[in-house]
Amino acid sequence: MMEMDLRIDTRMVEGIPILHLSGEVDAYTCPFFREAMLDTIENGSPSMVINMDDVEYIDSSGLGTLVGGLKRASEKGGKIALVCNAPQVRKVFEITGLEKVFAMFETEEEAANNLASLAKENQA
Amino acid sequence: MSKEGILEKTAAPVHLEIPEEYELRDEISDLKKSDSELFTIIKESMNKIKPAYISTYPPTECGIATFTRDLLTSVQKYMPFSRPVVLAIKRAGEIEPYGRIVKRQVLRDDRQSFIDAAEYLNKSSVDVVSVQHEYGIYGGVEGEYVLDFLRALKKPAVATLHTVLSNPNPDQKRVLQELAELCKVVVVMVRTGRQILMDVYGIPSKKITVIHHGVPNVHRVSSSSVKRTLGIADRQAISTFGLISRGKGIEFAIEAMAKVVKKYPNALYLVLGETHPGVRAWEGESYRNFLLETVNRLGISNNIAFNNRFLSLSELVKYLCATDIYITPYLNKDQIVSGTLAYALGCGKAIISTPYLYAEEVLADGRGMLVDFKSPDAIADAILYLLDNPDKKQDMEDKAYKFGRRTAWFNVAIDYLDLFHRVAEAHKERAASVGRESNK
Repeated sequence: MMEMDLRIDTRMVEGIPILHLSGEVDAYTCPFFREAMLDTIENGSPSMVINMDDVEYIDSSGLGTLVGGLKRASEKGGKIALVCNAPQVRKVFEITGLEKVFAMFETEEEAANNLASLAKENQA
Repeated sequence: MSKEGILEKTAAPVHLEIPEEYELRDEISDLKKSDSELFTIIKESMNKIKPAYISTYPPTECGIATFTRDLLTSVQKYMPFSRPVVLAIKRAGEIEPYGRIVKRQVLRDDRQSFIDAAEYLNKSSVDVVSVQHEYGIYGGVEGEYVLDFLRALKKPAVATLHTVLSNPNPDQKRVLQELAELCKVVVVMVRTGRQILMDVYGIPSKKITVIHHGVPNVHRVSSSSVKRTLGIADRQAISTFGLISRGKGIEFAIEAMAKVVKKYPNALYLVLGETHPGVRAWEGESYRNFLLETVNRLGISNNIAFNNRFLSLSELVKYLCATDIYITPYLNKDQIVSGTLAYALGCGKAIISTPYLYAEEVLADGRGMLVDFKSPDAIADAILYLLDNPDKKQDMEDKAYKFGRRTAWFNVAIDYLDLFHRVAEAHKERAASVGRESNK
């Protein structure tokens, strides 16, 4: 059921993994989402873009999962960038103030380029 | 078998596996120990607001109390750095073992108690006050003590209206009009409520906001799998739940079952919930006994089951998930909200209802079937139509579920939080502007 309510497609842009989420990010689907983020980090990509444009709803478990992912990514020297243009989801970040915690971008490419530049700066 | 029917034999609590929520608050609490830098960034970035709620509150058994607890809990999940407070209304002499969140008890029939409560809030760090309004939970003529509270209150208030009468008596009208004047915003749960407030009470549209009644976050499961766990796998399950009282019109649904069972002898109507405590104090179990007599008179005791106790949320959800058709045969045309109907929508059920105001609006566009008041024949025909046409039933369930997802508590909480922030900010700006003027 979780997989039916939340779909996660992963691809690479500029060497940065993009997790494209479609559906609902809530208490039912968060274990699936958490696993996808942690797998990405464990597989050597501490930075990632999470595209939430096709997310219908997010609840506080979803926000908690994102914060947990950010923590794990930070531990490995990575960052999480969000693409979040869906008004009902964007509103949740604005009202809670979490929009100031996550780097938010208009497009996947913009987000991936930003993370790729940061990775290069860190290597230099 | 007890005369209460089948479910009395299996009345031990049943629990649906609603996932354990690992909340934002838990995650941030972990960060405090493991990553203080990130914790500080989040703490400084997140918006903070401290709401107070004045209402009846659990363990008091009443729909408003449950609503307030659910609203508070849902809002708080997004505000890990704020602590809300509750001012619980109760009758003198009642001993309620409230939780620590209840900071003050307000005596329903004591005007001064409401004034004292407002003064307590005036001295507190509360940013906004959420007033849950239903005439009966406040003392005085038509609950007018709520006005004493609001007149003494210096913090901005938002009222959620649980009853909006289209034909109020003069006192009811006066109380609601003044309440709206004293509050920054009034919230109703359907658009019809907004229209009545404008037409009947003359409340300006800009003061009214529509926010739906919240429902638990339940993802759909097949009713057959849940029915097995209740021992009713081979039954067509029809249900009504909530605190039982005469206004629910359950006798008409029972009479409808007499017609339904001729075609579907396995059909089972579940009447879930105890008699409303206020009703029980007034007339004991006479309505329930009347229902039982009706069942016996019709000779359908194998098709009706009562569960006469207050059900926990997980039990309710389980029974709802097991339900094929949900019915609200209520009798009051003016009813502006129904928590039980909202819950059934949230679980994506096929719903049959009498056309009270709330049902008319939320079941529009194919999300349910409306039948005449007090009409067993109409209820029976609707049940038979849905049982005979599984495709139509499925379509109705899909539409109900889609609507219900939007009204899940986690979405409704964001609407309230948005409102609380706007009202609190406007109040602060106004206070700052007054301060600037007086310094000139």
